Amino acid sequence: MTIHKGRGFACINYPIGMNLGGDPSQALVHSTPDGKFMVALSSIDLGQGMKSVTRQIASETLGVPVEDVYVDTADSDTGPHCMGSFASRGTHRVGNAVIRAAAEARKQMMEAAAEELEVNASDLDTDGAGNIHVKGAPGRSITVAETAIAAQFKQGRTLSGRGIFLVPPNEADPDTGDMTPVTCFAHAALVVDLEVDDETGEVEVTEINSAYEVGRALNPKLVEQQLIGGAWMGVSHALYETTEPYYPQRDHGPEDFNTYLQPGPGQIVPHHVAVLERPAEDAPFGGKGPGEMCANPVLPAVANAVYNAVGVRCDQLPITPEKVLKGIRANGGARPQGIR
Amino acid sequence: MVEVQTCQTMAEAAASLGEGARYLGGGTIVMRQVNYGDQSFHRIVRALQPERGVRGDVQGLRIGAGTTMADLLASSEVRFLHPVARQIGGPAIRNMATLGGNLFAQNPYGDLAVALLALDAQVVMSGGQAQPMERFLAERGHLRGLVEAVSLPRPQPGTFYFRKVSRVKPKGVSVMSLAGCLRSGDPRVVFGNMGPAPTRARAAERALAGGLSEAAISAACSVCTEGLAPADDALASAWYRREVAAVHLRRMLDSGASD
Amino acid sequence: MAKTPVTFTLNDAEAALFVDPGAALVDVLRRGAGDLTPKQGCAQGTCGACTVLIDGVPHLSCLTLAETVQGRHVETTSGLAGGPDLHPLQKAFIEGFAAQCGFCTSGMLMAAKSLLDQTPDPTRDQVIEAISGNLCRCTGYEPIVDAILTAAAEMQGRPAQQGVR
Repeated sequence: MTIHKGRGFACINYPIGMNLGGDPSQALVHSTPDGKFMVALSSIDLGQGMKSVTRQIASETLGVPVEDVYVDTADSDTGPHCMGSFASRGTHRVGNAVIRAAAEARKQMMEAAAEELEVNASDLDTDGAGNIHVKGAPGRSITVAETAIAAQFKQGRTLSGRGIFLVPPNEADPDTGDMTPVTCFAHAALVVDLEVDDETGEVEVTEINSAYEVGRALNPKLVEQQLIGGAWMGVSHALYETTEPYYPQRDHGPEDFNTYLQPGPGQIVPHHVAVLERPAEDAPFGGKGPGEMCANPVLPAVANAVYNAVGVRCDQLPITPEKVLKGIRANGGARPQGIR
Repeated sequence: MVEVQTCQTMAEAAASLGEGARYLGGGTIVMRQVNYGDQSFHRIVRALQPERGVRGDVQGLRIGAGTTMADLLASSEVRFLHPVARQIGGPAIRNMATLGGNLFAQNPYGDLAVALLALDAQVVMSGGQAQPMERFLAERGHLRGLVEAVSLPRPQPGTFYFRKVSRVKPKGVSVMSLAGCLRSGDPRVVFGNMGPAPTRARAAERALAGGLSEAAISAACSVCTEGLAPADDALASAWYRREVAAVHLRRMLDSGASD
Repeated sequence: MAKTPVTFTLNDAEAALFVDPGAALVDVLRRGAGDLTPKQGCAQGTCGACTVLIDGVPHLSCLTLAETVQGRHVETTSGLAGGPDLHPLQKAFIEGFAAQCGFCTSGMLMAAKSLLDQTPDPTRDQVIEAISGNLCRCTGYEPIVDAILTAAAEMQGRPAQQGVR
């Protein structure tokens, strides 16, 4: 038996959002009478951090503490419209809609405060800690809560805002095909190291090194969490998962999570991530978001690493021990591609 | 909806079984069927006092059908079975899954049954009658009655081997599992998930009858798939299983006895 | 068909319920007792999301016939926190970003609690073994393993061990 080490590389440019119908999302922001702010979205958080990031964005735009902002994504029937949580679009599309809605709500909040303080709204600023004060005179201030109470019970005014973000659909030039389907891309490069057992065809990934350019990392821990978990999913897609193991025959599909294979906790791969921040011009506070490309580059990198290790080029996923072993047999033995 | 009938003893439960009834042991097989609306039975029979635990005497060992994988791991009498029980399920499954259930588990489950066949266990029915594992496995699909226990001779130290081949670590189901009880003269080599039930690799056994020399191991590996009938499933194809069976037999033998 | 009365201790309280014949414990906990922390994932015993402790050891509540917990002690994630004070495991999961969609979290917490009850100072491999019956689709497991080790260290009153990276 020989264990062959292999290394594979892949890189990716990943579009943020899609061109379909301008890919719009809406947000609605309103305050409660005690000065907390509600952000209503239909952009469902499946664990990617949509609620955390839009909460940060709303708080930053409104100028109020993050703990005074609540994001409600509970119901896409009653909430404002969203195209959905896919296409790596959440932070960018929904974040921009939230900025617009929160900016409109902030304007109303400042006008309500100005009326109470008897100054011009343009002379006011927020301190981010729940107060609104006259610029240069922090002593002349009113709390956000007092402002909301006055707006609700005295002024008869709502502190609310509507936001939508839409990139006008871009048609392809009929002659050249030239088009600008998206406004920004995220980028990544990824290196996979793995070992191939040339008697069984088994592949074990041993290390991943990656660099991700995601615009500004609005929540660095969430970005890291996405990249680590997404790479695991990439390994799983590359080597394990399939609903049709004998495709195009549909027989012998898995019936449960014991036969639908995914790597277990004993197969945690050390993954070193470098996050590069190049804030995008039209992104909320520059954040493009990691999105789907957490997993994507892992697949070609694994395929390349298997080729590098034993000279077997698998062009169908997942790269099972059986395919690797058949490839080794067809080549008359393992053919390591690189001497390192 | 199913009916649940609770009995005191295994004997009562055995008497209550019949058309449309299933015996509920640890739940890992039958409750799964209940959850998915299996219409092949409408009554669950369970016993409050199944035989549970390991008893040893001069004759050998007796392990109750209600003994869980966790019970096996807690028993120093069956230390040789610890590598088997430890590789079955996660901790929660091991607290529930019983020896009795494992005897009936279909591929890709049933690693303990593979080991018990290699150990020449006898399956003891609730009426007291016993039969060898091999015959039990051949008849288990249309068996009447309840398994109460298995009895087995203690293996000589250093003769019991086990290997489970799984793609998911540390815990996954078996692409195949292998067990060997390699006493000289009459060795056993058994494969799991290389046929509808755990199967002895008789040609390999014959090759190893004279001992574990390098030549004998090579000979055993070259004939180990004779008589096996692996199938395609979601984990691997029959082709792959045949191709790597010898590799895993050699690795099991090279890595030494597990007791 | 007649329901069966079952009484058991659910975390710190007595529970008395009438259960349907053949009902799985997870359904009875969620629908009967209103404890939504055990999740019904696969109902096949292959995901671990429904893990609860029965008399201190982990069981899959989807494969447990509800009436078999008569007189026994069932622990779920609802019982982990002491009032407003989160269990060290819950704190470590939150601070270590060990949950994304959260569907596996209850089961992971109960598997981890059982481990720390029996092995207060586990090795990394023991943690991996303890959660080997629990699937997570989001995290890649590493933050979960780290969080359990962090909680163990905190309960032992010493700094956390280094992660794999």
